[in-house]
Amino acid sequence: MTQWHPQTEQLVEYAAGSCNTGMSVAISVHLHYCKHCRERVSELESATAVLFETQAPAPVADGTFDQLMQRIQREPTVEPVRKPAPQQRFPRALQSLLPESLDELNWRHPMKNLSVSHLLTDETGMIIGLHHMKAGGRVPNHTHRGDEINVVLEGGFSDQMGSYGEGDFVFRTDNDTHAPQADAHEDCLMLSVVTAPVKLTGPLGWLVNPFIKP
Amino acid sequence: MSAAHVISILSSKKARTMTESSQAMEQWADKLEAVARRQDTQAFEALFNHFAPLIKAFALSSGLQRQGDHLPDELVQDVMLAIWRKAASYDRRKAAASTWIFTIARNQRIDTLRRLSKYQNDISADEIWDLEGDTELFGEIRQSRVQTQVRDQLKELPVDQRQVMAKVFLEDKSHQEVASEMGLPLGTVKSRVRLAMKKLKLSLEALDL
Repeated sequence: MTQWHPQTEQLVEYAAGSCNTGMSVAISVHLHYCKHCRERVSELESATAVLFETQAPAPVADGTFDQLMQRIQREPTVEPVRKPAPQQRFPRALQSLLPESLDELNWRHPMKNLSVSHLLTDETGMIIGLHHMKAGGRVPNHTHRGDEINVVLEGGFSDQMGSYGEGDFVFRTDNDTHAPQADAHEDCLMLSVVTAPVKLTGPLGWLVNPFIKP
Repeated sequence: MSAAHVISILSSKKARTMTESSQAMEQWADKLEAVARRQDTQAFEALFNHFAPLIKAFALSSGLQRQGDHLPDELVQDVMLAIWRKAASYDRRKAAASTWIFTIARNQRIDTLRRLSKYQNDISADEIWDLEGDTELFGEIRQSRVQTQVRDQLKELPVDQRQVMAKVFLEDKSHQEVASEMGLPLGTVKSRVRLAMKKLKLSLEALDL
């Protein structure tokens, strides 16, 4: 059971489809691990469907139904029921951004205990990537120019504000400073979504900025 | 007339309204199953006549027409085509027909808006927003209770809460975008949405469950 969840506003924007790709991928990955939040999203979708049905209907253009039926006759594909996907290592939204093996990603090693790889920059400039911390590895104190979301995929880590395990959704704004440390007994792999290059507060801080421009 | 009599009239009226709305919900689920099992075009036309104008209103609410007059009707076709093709995946034990159709319209609108923007990526909305949602069987029982509560309480919402809620839930706008559009502080928009959710008995925190 996960302990750290998205805020209500974040779940509302996810259910409405109005959040950016970075946030929606992070929430989608959290939902894979978190039954509570899946139920909340279902609840929001059910409520939105009522609002959807109470909209004032807008008449469609004449001939739309006939055109649609012609399209269906031209391309009569009916999708088979999707079989449950074979158990994959990562949730679907993340898996769709990954190559067959994590080794194929371009990993950078900004410091001894940390490897980072970039997956996608979204329409608002949010950077989606993976962070890998060696067991017991600690990242120097740092803050952020914008928001940072981490969703734990494997292992766990802790910082001044708490400790986090599989599926936990950790949201930090530019007011927060933290120095995350991976659990001692195993490596920690996380989904990371950040708005801007991380700004560092420690003397060696620049070393850990995973996404700094050359 | 005795108070007990009034109450019994009121409650039987309420019971009748609830039966009517749940019958309507069952009716659309039956039609989706007819499309899935026998490619029933009459059932599909009935679904089209009811839902197409709602999908178009949903398209218009996000301002899709500003990027091309034809786009809202195109979205209607794309969503109805997806309903035809995916009908076999619909499971009435998991969701009301209207919820399933809303999620297809939402995902299709996201893909359309992304396709129109300069920004492109290979990830589709269906990969992020799983159409099966909470995959628990009989989740529909809980969800139909939610829908009944929302239907009952929606009319009681103050106009300002209802308006902000409709924008955030349906119009593809974040809380921040609604705040900017309406010239309201972000905190006011967030608290109106939360007040509306509270009145509609939607859970506000993960731990409420």
